[in-house]
Amino acid sequence: MMTSSKGKRAAKLIPETYLSAEFPGEPGLDRVIQDRIGDHLRSMYDELVQQPVPDRFVELLNRLEKRTDAVEK
Amino acid sequence: MTPEPELRDALLAAVPSLRAFAISLSGQVDRADDLVQDTLLRALANIHRFERGTNLNAWLFTILRNLFHSEYRKRRREVEDPDGSYAARLTVHPEQGSRLDFEDFRAALAHLPADQREALLLIGASGFSYEEAAQICECAVGTIKSRVNRARSRLAQLLAVEDVEDLGPDSMTRAALQAI
Repeated sequence: MMTSSKGKRAAKLIPETYLSAEFPGEPGLDRVIQDRIGDHLRSMYDELVQQPVPDRFVELLNRLEKRTDAVEK
Repeated sequence: MTPEPELRDALLAAVPSLRAFAISLSGQVDRADDLVQDTLLRALANIHRFERGTNLNAWLFTILRNLFHSEYRKRRREVEDPDGSYAARLTVHPEQGSRLDFEDFRAALAHLPADQREALLLIGASGFSYEEAAQICECAVGTIKSRVNRARSRLAQLLAVEDVEDLGPDSMTRAALQAI
């Protein structure tokens, strides 16, 4: 655990262009994977955000508005 | 206290992102919708505590997150293997090809600790700043940053297995299971 995180920190001290050219296995792959994670996360989330709002929430807020109107005072 | 139409509209406008967050957190649409409903009810009951002009979405996310965690703690006492059942729920619906990626991704997401998962979602998907995310999670900005970093490297590990060995559509789930 300790050695692997130390290894990563040490790798960052080396210029990235050099690394991705010389050792395509490590930080270059990391970068690609990080981009993919970001893309995946956003598209998964966007798909959820774009789902239509279930009627129950519209009804709930309308109902509460009426009830609080009546209860007021 | 009457929720004036603007408030009602603002709450309604917040529902899609609250749902997305709740579904991603809990991994279950039904449970997520219950969470969103409880969030709206609690928000309306406490609307006098909301400072006008501040970020309504951040306030609502804070409420939802608190509800999620108190419910999770309760369930954890009831259910013997919460992680196992959670993971199982997240690997359903493989019949829709286009969703396969999402399902795999969600399965990987499910294997992150809840604090890392929520930090990653708030920063990487919901579009909150580190400061807002720290406020929502009631922790330091540095804590959010390290949780996001840990979440990213953990997911990278799971995805790397798929990339390098190309194990097929189940690779991420298998990688996730092997990593436990």
